[in-house]
Amino acid sequence: MNSEKGFKRHGSHSYVAQFDESEREVLLNLIEQLIELLSERVDHGHEDPLAALVGITSHDSLPEDEVLRRLLPNAYADEAQSSEFRRYTESTLRGKKQAHAMSLRMHIKSSDDGIVDLDHENANAWLGALNDIRLALGVRLKVDQSSPEHLELLSPDDPMRGVYAVYRWLGWLQESLLDALMDE
Amino acid sequence: MVRTATNIEEEIAAIFAGNTPWVTIVWDDPVNLMTYVTYVLMELFGYSREKAHELMMKVHTEGKAVVSTGTREEMEHDVAMLHEYGLWATLQRGDEGL
Repeated sequence: MNSEKGFKRHGSHSYVAQFDESEREVLLNLIEQLIELLSERVDHGHEDPLAALVGITSHDSLPEDEVLRRLLPNAYADEAQSSEFRRYTESTLRGKKQAHAMSLRMHIKSSDDGIVDLDHENANAWLGALNDIRLALGVRLKVDQSSPEHLELLSPDDPMRGVYAVYRWLGWLQESLLDALMDE
Repeated sequence: MVRTATNIEEEIAAIFAGNTPWVTIVWDDPVNLMTYVTYVLMELFGYSREKAHELMMKVHTEGKAVVSTGTREEMEHDVAMLHEYGLWATLQRGDEGL
């Protein structure tokens, strides 16, 4: 995963990258986990089916999972206002994030030669999905501005070392796509 | 209850409070790339690269920045878009103090 490939702009509306087999496996594995994580919360039997149809849920508290709390944050400092907003919007937000993730999965899965060719809209979906994976890994890695050093100093047999390598690769990949998009 | 001048002032203030603009605030986050924050602000708000970069730098150096102003409904829409792209954003009334 140290190849100097990443995304390149082709023409005016095309962003192309080639992934090898191991990179595709890593991306697919992570994206499946993200899609799973973003699935609706298991409700406790009190869901109003009509309200659910229009995306209103009874879930109005911050998710318990630390990663979900970062992916689906509060919109207000005030708890009551946040809860109200969440009831009406969390389901939609999960759906949009899942759509980004599914776009990434579809492009990786449908590519025979590992080449991915994105238009502007798909590139935005990829950016969102890559960012959500990085946010999730960042929570698990306890990425903190005050102490980035502890991640550089992980011992070779620490499983988090591999996670950190993937996190850094995803950041590099995201940056290459941003460079291609902003190169005008 | 006898209406005092203070009561009336409060009522008038409440009537006009509806016109107080709301703001969307983006908070600093150790994971989001600086380029990404700039790009998202350009895409979602149509800001120039210069303006988006300036706002991103404010978030980065000061910990937060107001990225848009408008009605409460408009700010709820903006916050939802920013959350979709993983930026850490909240909304509040403009006069609540930052």
